[in-house]
Formats: sequence, C-alpha cells, structure tokens
Amino acid sequence: MIEPRTLRLQRAMASLVLDEDEAALEADPGRVARRQELSSADQGSFRDQSPGMLTYRELARMSLIDPLEDMFPVLKALLGEQGLWDACIQAFLDARVVRSCHYRDIAPAFLGWLVATGWGQERWPFLLELAHAELLEVLVTRFPDAEPLQGLHVEPGPADLVVLDPATQVVSYAHAVHRVSEAAPIPEARPTHLLAYRDCAGEARLKELTPATSALLVLAQTMPLAQAAEALNLPSLSPALDLLCDLRRAGAIAGFQSPT
Amino acid sequence: MEGHGVPFWETCPENLIGDGGRHHRLACAILERDPVLTHGLAMSVGGFDPWDEDYLTDLGDFLVHTNTPWHSEHLCFTSVDGNCLHELLPLLFTREAVLHTIGRARALQSRLPVPLLLENITYYAELGAAEMDEADFVSAVLEGADVGWLLDVNNVYVNALNFGFDPKDWLSRMPLDRVAQIHIAGHKKFGDITVDTHGAEVIDPVIDLMQWTLERLGRPVPVLLERDNHIPDFQELLAERARIQVAYEAALALSGVRHD
Repeated sequence: MIEPRTLRLQRAMASLVLDEDEAALEADPGRVARRQELSSADQGSFRDQSPGMLTYRELARMSLIDPLEDMFPVLKALLGEQGLWDACIQAFLDARVVRSCHYRDIAPAFLGWLVATGWGQERWPFLLELAHAELLEVLVTRFPDAEPLQGLHVEPGPADLVVLDPATQVVSYAHAVHRVSEAAPIPEARPTHLLAYRDCAGEARLKELTPATSALLVLAQTMPLAQAAEALNLPSLSPALDLLCDLRRAGAIAGFQSPT
Repeated sequence: MEGHGVPFWETCPENLIGDGGRHHRLACAILERDPVLTHGLAMSVGGFDPWDEDYLTDLGDFLVHTNTPWHSEHLCFTSVDGNCLHELLPLLFTREAVLHTIGRARALQSRLPVPLLLENITYYAELGAAEMDEADFVSAVLEGADVGWLLDVNNVYVNALNFGFDPKDWLSRMPLDRVAQIHIAGHKKFGDITVDTHGAEVIDPVIDLMQWTLERLGRPVPVLLERDNHIPDFQELLAERARIQVAYEAALALSGVRHD
C-alpha cells in the first residue's frame, strides 16, 4: 500500500523532533526529509526553512523534556554530574514510548522505560528506585478519586483486614532514596520501607516504616490482623493497632473490614 | 475567587480526565459552579493514528457533564505512529491534506456529543511543498468538514509576522460566518521567529485585530484570554481581562450589536 504523502511528511517531522544529533540537524535540517525519501520539493521545505523547522524541534522537545526535568531533579543532578542526562533523555526519546495524550503521563512513561530497559542501572543500582521515589509523591497526590468505600469501621480488631486508601502505596527500596537531594544524589544502601499517602488536606506524605510494620500493612490487606502478626512473629498486636488507628486518622488507611 | 467577574472559563479535558487529588477537585468545583468551554490539545485531527476510543468515551462524558456548548480542537497533528509529540504540528497545505483532515474532522464530530470547532494554529514553517496558502487550507477544511471556527486572532497575527502578510487581508478571505469563539493571547519573539507563547500580555495590535474581526462579525462571540505560561498575579490577570472586555464591548457597540 502506498503511504500518503501527508503521512510521510508527518513522519519526517516526528523524526526531526525526536532524533538525536542536534549539531548535524542544525547543519543539515534536510537530512530527515532525505531519510524519509520525500520528493525534492518536499525536502526543500525542511532544507529552506531551517529556523522554523528547528523551532518545532525545540518546542516539541521542551514539551517532552520539561516534565522530566521537573519530576526527576535528583536523577537529573546525578546524571548531569557525569554529563549523561542528555544521553538518557535521548535514549528515552529514541524508544518512542510516549503514547498517551495526557501530558501528566510523560514522566510515568519515562519510569516505565527505565524499568523495561534497565538504562544506567548497571552503573547505578539505585537509579530505578531513585526515579520511582521522585515520582511517588506525585502519583499519590494525583491518584484518581474514588467513591468512599462502604462497610468499613474505624477501630481495628484482631480479626479485621486493613483497607488502605486507594491512593496509598507501601513501597520497599534497597536504598534510602527518600533522603537524597540534588546536592547529594547518591543514596545510602540500606533497606527502606515507606508509606506514601494523601493526608486529609490532600497533600502527599511520606512516612518511613519499620520492616515489621511494612510487612504487616501488606499482609493484613489479605489476612486478618492477628494472623498476619503471628506470621510475622510480632510479640504483641496492641502497638500495631494503635499505629493503624493513627494511620487511619492521617488518611493512609480507609478503614477496617470485618471478615465476611 | 468570588466576584472575579469572569463570565466563563476554558479547560483542556486531557488535563482533567483521569486525574485526581485536591487540585483536581478544586478545578472540578470551578467547572461545576461556572460556565465552561472545552479545548482539546492532543486529538491530532490532521493525523493518521486511530482514535483512542476509550478516551473519546471519557471525553464525551466530560463534555456532557460540563455542559459545554461545543468542543474545540486544533487544526494540526500531534501524534505519528502512536507516538504523542505533545506539540501542535503543522499540516500540509495540499489538496490531499484538506481531504484527509475533512474526513478526520467529520469522523471526530460523529463521535462527540456537542458541535466541534477547529482552531487555526500558529505555524513556524510550511510542511512540504504547499499547493495553497494557509487561508485557503483553513477555509477548505472548515467548509468541507462543516464545522465551526475557533478563531485565534493572536495566531493570525503571529503567522502574519512570521510570513509577512497583512492579517486583516487574511481574515477578509475567511468564512467569518463560521466563527463561534475567539482566542486572544500574548506572544514573544525569539531571534527571527515570533512564537505563540501564551506567556505575555496581549499587545494592542492583537486587540485591534480582535476588534476589527468583531466589527465584521456583527455579533457577540465568547473571547477567551489564554494564559498558561509565566502566569502573573491573579489581580493582574483580571485587569488584563477587563481591558479586553472594554475593547470587546467597544467593538460590538461600533457594529451596533447589543449583547448581554
């Protein structure tokens, strides 16, 4: 099937926007048109309107890259120190994985690309955890609202299941990635358990958990609290019940469910 | 925010559909309270990618819920081979592109619960060898698709600067009877190219172009001040809106139209 000329030109424009090698493009903006085997006249629109075409490249790349720079400042600082941030971004653009019409999905697409490719993780084993931690609070803050869950009560009992607020996430990392900053982007290697949740005002909060509490929060979503505590060899459930009450008041837990 | 005097707002559905959290709830509360128009960013009306049917369903629900009288999209392409470029990229000014875009606009209209408007964009280079000029292209698509026109007077002005034509001559050739809404915004010059930034105050020649258009329309249409970059203090923004309102009323008074 013959591709319409309109489509071939749109592909050439996408190539102009996304392809690497800025210097070569600036020197020869017509090369993307040649690669698409456009007619001589159509190649001319790239070759002869270089400032306008490069404006498109700059604007579109700004749209795609700005959300990454906003969302991953520590990762950018880490890679930037080694002069590798631009290479990372270009590899991401080369993969052509921005498929969603929602602007807010660009950063999650980048995280998904890091998961799929393992980019940089041989050199920096914590890189994926760092990127995830940088995005975590935003994902929690913007988690789609849902109707309040029915049939929950506010005081936990030993036979209850824990029902987290839908926006809440319990995450475990091998590095203390929540302690890093742009000035000190390399995290300490130590097991880290975090609870990310929306408080009652809708702001994202991070709380560091003990390994036992983290495990309890995960297990007790599918297993009665007393049974989960026993499985984890907790000496007493009582302190955990107090903590769970606090977490419900803080907004991290939606409530507690009696066994059916 | 009470007593702001703003008669309506415009929102981009892509930024609200599927989102959640406190800011989302605050935005939705404004849409529940005040009149709203909707304006899409990433439908790629002139592109070739299949419609995202799930998104179109959500969009339809959103349009009904907001009670918008119409929904506008840009006369451009934003995605190629499933890759969303998040930039308004120019269509070819060719007969093939006219027919293709008419077909796409009609198909989109058939999937929406409200009338579709198309907006003229700024362009910084002509994509491919043109067979017609922009005015003929936009007119042919609007007439062929039988859709309303969201006339962006700043885009006309910016294009006139970049391509050296008289914006009033350009507008004189256009089907003004199709204008249902007007956009007005600020722009900025970068080197030899002026860019539609939505990040600066509207300059007098653009307001003059709005007035010139309104006098020829001889009927009131909603005019939206677009500002989504370098957003000033809210009171400053309201003062700018008030200045445009005065110019709007003066133009309609000159054309002898009473409006409420």
